[in-house]
Amino acid sequence: MTAFQKRTGIIATLFAVVIFIIPFLFIFLMSVKDKSQASHQDFTWPEQWQLWQNFSDVISARNYMLLLAYFNSTVITVGAVALLILFGAMVGYVLQRRQSGWNKVIFGCVLAGLIIPPAVVPTIWVLQGLHLFKTIHGMILIQVAYGLAFSVLLYSSFIATIPRDLDEAARIDGARPLQIFFRVILPLLKPVTVTLIVVQSIAIFNDFTNPLYYLPGKQNVTVQLTLFNFQSQFQTQFNLLFMNILLVTIPPLIVFIFFNRQIVAGMTAGAVKG
Amino acid sequence: MQRRSPYPYWFVLPAAVVFVTLFLVPTVAAFWFSLTRWDLYTATYIGMENFRQFFSEPYLVQGLGHTLIYAVLTSATKSVFGLLLAVLLTSGIWAQGFLRTVVFFPVLVSTIGVGLTFSVLMHPTKGLFNVGLATIGIHGPGWLTDASLALYSVALVDLWKGVGLATLIYIAGLAAISPDYYEAARIDGATRIQQFWRVTVPLVRPATVTVVTLSLIGGLRSFDLIWAMTRGGPGFSSDVLASVIYKQYQAGFYGLSTAGNVILFLLIALLVLPLTWWFNRREVDL
Amino acid sequence: MAEVVLTNLTKSFGSVDVIKGITLTIKDGEFCVFVGPSGCGKSTLLRIIAGLETSTSGTLHIGGTEVSNLEPSDRGIAMVFQSYALYPHLSVRDNIGFGLSLARMPKPEIARIVEATAATLQLTPYLDRKPKALSGGQRQRVAIGRSIVRNPKVFLFDEPLSNLDAALRGQMRMEITDLHATLGTTMIYVTHDQVEAMTMADKIVVLNAGRIEQTGTPMELYNHPATPFVAGFIGSPQMNLLIGDNARKLGCTTYGIRPEHLIPSTTDGLWQARIRHIEHLGADAILHCDAGPLGTMTVRTGGDTDLSHGAQVWLTPMPAKEHRFG
Repeated sequence: MTAFQKRTGIIATLFAVVIFIIPFLFIFLMSVKDKSQASHQDFTWPEQWQLWQNFSDVISARNYMLLLAYFNSTVITVGAVALLILFGAMVGYVLQRRQSGWNKVIFGCVLAGLIIPPAVVPTIWVLQGLHLFKTIHGMILIQVAYGLAFSVLLYSSFIATIPRDLDEAARIDGARPLQIFFRVILPLLKPVTVTLIVVQSIAIFNDFTNPLYYLPGKQNVTVQLTLFNFQSQFQTQFNLLFMNILLVTIPPLIVFIFFNRQIVAGMTAGAVKG
Repeated sequence: MQRRSPYPYWFVLPAAVVFVTLFLVPTVAAFWFSLTRWDLYTATYIGMENFRQFFSEPYLVQGLGHTLIYAVLTSATKSVFGLLLAVLLTSGIWAQGFLRTVVFFPVLVSTIGVGLTFSVLMHPTKGLFNVGLATIGIHGPGWLTDASLALYSVALVDLWKGVGLATLIYIAGLAAISPDYYEAARIDGATRIQQFWRVTVPLVRPATVTVVTLSLIGGLRSFDLIWAMTRGGPGFSSDVLASVIYKQYQAGFYGLSTAGNVILFLLIALLVLPLTWWFNRREVDL
Repeated sequence: MAEVVLTNLTKSFGSVDVIKGITLTIKDGEFCVFVGPSGCGKSTLLRIIAGLETSTSGTLHIGGTEVSNLEPSDRGIAMVFQSYALYPHLSVRDNIGFGLSLARMPKPEIARIVEATAATLQLTPYLDRKPKALSGGQRQRVAIGRSIVRNPKVFLFDEPLSNLDAALRGQMRMEITDLHATLGTTMIYVTHDQVEAMTMADKIVVLNAGRIEQTGTPMELYNHPATPFVAGFIGSPQMNLLIGDNARKLGCTTYGIRPEHLIPSTTDGLWQARIRHIEHLGADAILHCDAGPLGTMTVRTGGDTDLSHGAQVWLTPMPAKEHRFG
């Protein structure tokens, strides 16, 4: 490392701390302050540390709504990601292995899914018709519909790297289509599956807009929605608002620490193809 | 006689049912409902009335303009800063890995959380932004309270949150450029600046296409950050199409809201399709 | 144990005819090699027999049963792929037992068969390894093991040795030949390498552009090639082929003489030539001669030859060894 690289690195780190770290530090400091100091909304050291106190206050606020929200968000995230993995892999597999006129249709749908903004009110109309409006399973299916394009894209490009010989060997060994898929192909998709689980979980967990539209109602609150709704309630309790922000930030942070590599792989998947 | 394929089409069926019912059907239906007065149960055909109303209400037209400004601005700044950061973070500087992590992390954080945090930081008197500026003798503006500034302040936060993704994509793009080109350029006597303009910028093109397209689409659809920071205000000064759609929906103007959706759809199609076409055409020229 | 009978078999991909009507009987227990240049249709033909491709027309019988409409797994065949196609996520044990577990055979039974098979292939120490931890030869043996446990009526091999280095290839050639001797099962083996074909086959089928050029034992093909194509394809170095005026003077449209059937002499002979290049292989020496209007002639002679680069030679074909086509 040259002196120039070292000097540039130190300067860049200083800038990064000011621009990127201070906001997070601010969240943390606010979340441990007491109510009156937090109301100043300034960047100061807490006079009184009440991390635990604020934590339990936020959890118990509005009759433990945050716990319900975490439960709902988890159910939606786990359910939707599981279906996205399964459905996405199945479509990617057929798309990659079977060449036909339908491929163009499927690719068209993938492109549409990536670009087109969902039509909100007509979607509510469809959900109502199917009795899925304001239901957790309806929300899961919505997340599946919106996330499929990305799953299919990632899976189909990965399946292209799995030799067809393996499918054929399995056929000769007597495997039926479902057995080829579940016993040979799906286990080999593990790297891209991990990437998808991580990236889609974060996206769905962080989603605000879709639950706002399709999942109104107190019983159905999700984490992001709770955060937004608390904003008005905590107008005078900034310490609790920021404790809430802190709690919402921690899950992605943990995932990021453990799955950094998979996230990077997923996020740059589109870049190679252009 | 044809034996059954080992890749049966019914594998596509579960995905197709969900995608068609919950995405394609509403998208197509939107074109019809945008021509109606609609309360979710009965729809009365009123022709282009919703669109006429949309383009005659100044604040709705404004929303359209804001959407364009916001999308172009965030997309352009993310590309420029993303490329510069990527070059910096691949040059082997001190703490490179740490810096990549720090720049990227905001991408993963809840948009609502970021929006609420920055709306506090941007408070006209108490916020860290203006307190910081005051220490060096500058009287900071009302970032979110000044109607002429609010949209740009939100765009700035969008840049803060999104530049990490652009950087990441550019880093992947830079990694795909063979070092041979730089060595050849150095032998030809190119300076570092010349190498950047003559080698990096043209060869990192696929990444640029991705960054510009992704962030443009994201910018045009942007809703949650704006909603968390300003709710379209002050007044209608930071309203974009997506927030207009939501407000009309809340007010019960479902037909009008859907017309807004159709306009957003057409806007994205009109911007993104020619852009992709142009990018691909340039690719052939190379 | 089964005879394989192909009748008027054709295959087209769109408007491209890849297999143009093949009728062939492979006898029970025979080791049959399909050989030909790349693109001749030999792999497609094997994949049709396997059931991985469907024929456009014609019939295919294995052991007296018409199998065209049967799944690959119901045809009583097993196949060894060029890439071996071992399942990367399964151990050697599970790779060999995969087909049996699909057939819902009881676990102890599978274990017994897998272990017995592994023992005969000397794979026992590697049973719990993943394929990527094996050498090329070991992978090859696992692929063979996987096909043996199916107890097939016909073994199909698709260029199984092309990924191995020369030394290992020689060894595996012997192992497969031994396997055939032990099992006595019908085997169909595809290769582009005429050396493999000559050394392993009971019967060679030479394919060219989707048609059979000639069928016969290795020595039949060597001694009596039916067409100039077979003449040129079988034998190494290649047979010298003369066409046009040169052949017409010798009373045919194509005249062929193998390098080992040309006698070089420094004093006299039929054709005058000059040695342009000489390859010493030890026991043999290959002379590449410039024979004026005849073009380049290749001659195989003893390794003790004292001819050298640039020397003038006369070449004379052995009379009974000449091949005249058309």
